[in-house]
Amino acid sequence: MIPAERPLSPHLQIYKPQLTSVLSITHRGTGLALGVGAIFFVWWLSGAAWSDACFRAAQAFWGSWLGKLFLLGWTFSLFFHLLNGVRHLLWDIGFGFELPMAYRTGWTVVAFSALLTVVAFGGGLYAWGLS
Amino acid sequence: MSGGAAVRHWRAQRVSAVALILLTLWLVESLLAHLGADRAQIQAWLGQPIPAALAAALVAVAFFHLALGVRVVLEDYVHTPRRQSTALLANRVACWALALIALAAIATLAFGW
Repeated sequence: MIPAERPLSPHLQIYKPQLTSVLSITHRGTGLALGVGAIFFVWWLSGAAWSDACFRAAQAFWGSWLGKLFLLGWTFSLFFHLLNGVRHLLWDIGFGFELPMAYRTGWTVVAFSALLTVVAFGGGLYAWGLS
Repeated sequence: MSGGAAVRHWRAQRVSAVALILLTLWLVESLLAHLGADRAQIQAWLGQPIPAALAAALVAVAFFHLALGVRVVLEDYVHTPRRQSTALLANRVACWALALIALAAIATLAFGW
């Protein structure tokens, strides 16, 4: 039997990028990035519980350039996903659906994610340097 | 997904999201407070009842929320039915396994096993 050719909605690359769609896909991307981060977190936690070698390997990784780059990515991902998640929850209770408001809350999420990332990551690096 | 299952998925995603707002902020604050800590300091921290309980709650809710989110992504992007069902199963198994390992680690630290 020939499978029915059902219509598909146009894929992402068909559309011109707009703030609303870019934030939507970034919400997914940051969620997946945090999932990868959770695996690393379990690695570190397992080391703390059961293995000196495993714990030290995880600590050494956070200290490396690549580790810090990952931490920077996860810091941004966490703040973005958290703030944009709140934006979604507000939509769910009926607030902010109008397009101008969707843009305003969208830019607010971008600005505060960047700000909180700089404060948390920068402050962390500074404190780490002192410790 | 049936109608009822979709509603439950929607609600579970949002309830876990609200819980994660507080739990992840607590984690960020705690990790910043333990920068450069050695293993003994982490053991001392999670050896206390409240941090251990919060860490356990965070791990359980976070992997639950992750499993729900990844499920939607797989349903959207994996089109072949057999591949999709395999991917959905793998997602559930991985999230369960990671959550159980993390909970066992926290229990070990909390009870000093």
